[in-house]
Amino acid sequence: MSADGVIDVLQAGRCDLVMDGGRYGFTHLGVPVGGAADAQALRRANRLVGNADTAAGLEIVLNGPVLSFPQGGWIALTGARFGLSRSSGDGVEWDKALLMARNEQLIVGAARSGCRCWLAVRGGLVVPDVMASRSTFLPASFGGMQGRPLRAGDRLTVGAQSGAPMLCAQPPVRDESLPFRVIPGPQAADFTDTGLAAFFSVPYRVDAASDRRGVRLSGAPVAAMARGSLPSQAVLPGAIQIPPDGQPIILGWDGPVSGGYPVIAGLISADLPRLAQLKPGDTVRFATVTLDVARGLAREAMDGY
Amino acid sequence: MPNFGKMPSSKSNPLIRQVPLAQTQRWRWVTERGLRVETGAFTLARYRAVLAAGLNEVESAIPADGSLLIVLYPRAAPSDALYALLSEDASLSPIVPGRLHLLPVEYGGAVGQDLARLADVAGLSVEAAIALHCSVEYRVMFIGFQPGFAYLHGTPAVLQLPRLARPRTHVAVGSLAIGGAYTGIYPAIGPGGWNVIGRVRANLFDPQRDTPALLMPDDRVRFVRE
Repeated sequence: MSADGVIDVLQAGRCDLVMDGGRYGFTHLGVPVGGAADAQALRRANRLVGNADTAAGLEIVLNGPVLSFPQGGWIALTGARFGLSRSSGDGVEWDKALLMARNEQLIVGAARSGCRCWLAVRGGLVVPDVMASRSTFLPASFGGMQGRPLRAGDRLTVGAQSGAPMLCAQPPVRDESLPFRVIPGPQAADFTDTGLAAFFSVPYRVDAASDRRGVRLSGAPVAAMARGSLPSQAVLPGAIQIPPDGQPIILGWDGPVSGGYPVIAGLISADLPRLAQLKPGDTVRFATVTLDVARGLAREAMDGY
Repeated sequence: MPNFGKMPSSKSNPLIRQVPLAQTQRWRWVTERGLRVETGAFTLARYRAVLAAGLNEVESAIPADGSLLIVLYPRAAPSDALYALLSEDASLSPIVPGRLHLLPVEYGGAVGQDLARLADVAGLSVEAAIALHCSVEYRVMFIGFQPGFAYLHGTPAVLQLPRLARPRTHVAVGSLAIGGAYTGIYPAIGPGGWNVIGRVRANLFDPQRDTPALLMPDDRVRFVRE
């Protein structure tokens, strides 16, 4: 791909990661799909700047970077609202294509609500494909920008321009006060009535130790009935494991493909983008739905894509 | 079609009994996209059968310890053809022998700090424990935990030792270890709770290689003392 631009990282955010739609086809080798924590939000940003859905962008968490655009160019931001400004003083709008002037800087500050946002650049970020994806996989330090978050001084390459940009995109409307909807998991029956009652009625708080591997919760311990150790089973993002201390872990996008802790429940796909926006201190509740309802909500969430 | 309407046990929790649960003893769900199938000793036979069938709704399949997770595409529901396939007798499937790998191992010492204890528990000398560990052929059952971490079946019974009560925060790259019935090799540095008995120099996982994982499901392994 012929490169026609660069972006300079003047200041890195807390953990800015190059991401695309994910790394498919390697779960049997222990490599999860990963990719943007809200693939639809990244896709929206890509479409705003006329990129293919598969183009790589930046996933920004809690505190963003300061980026300089020596050649200027179109960009778009989607996801949670962060403090934002441009060195030109021009306004910054979300879910809209923005034209950066030559040498203009984009200053992404702290998240005002939620946890993650996505930045697409017209042409897409160009990094080497590793196992058929440009997504960063931090647990094994490969993909993206040399397998690591951005650092000050990095220069990102921007690819050749593609299709026509859209003017604006409508983000989905979500009610964040709703409980997270789950399908009971393969070991749901191994928990005591008290444990299940706690899990389904008491709010849990998001721990600071959460990351893309898993969102760790703390609250009333979920007690399991005494049993032997569980053979390792394959899991998916959204699976909720209960380790021996009874504090739930919702597995994230870069979580292990298999694990030996019992899985009490699993988030429905339609609620995975909400998982991307949980930040330390937030509270979470769970409620069960049926498989049919989960598939119906997934179809609804994909309407327009 | 199987009956998905009942809980697997007699437990009666009103909070989760309100919904018709998609849980039977044999097939359960990990989110609405992951159909978990109990596969016992025939996990890889089922895995190959599911992949070979090329069903429209199946995105991937992930083998694990006695179970297989069939991952459906977003919004897809399992077809009757999938249920029919999973109802076939997997024990009749032909065994597919994979590649045989001969892996040189440096046993014991600083790179195998748990070997002496493991030999002691087994009632063997260190030399005899090494000879025993090298005497059998292992089979890759599944890969998980870390990219390229193969779970090898075949560990002689006397050498099987439960995982450490307190996992180590750092286990070196290439550490050969025993965790319960399985032997494994750590492809990357990281935390680990298995009993480390030696070190393998082979590069177990390299994302830049055409075949990133050295050991694949069904492959066979023999350890050779360095």
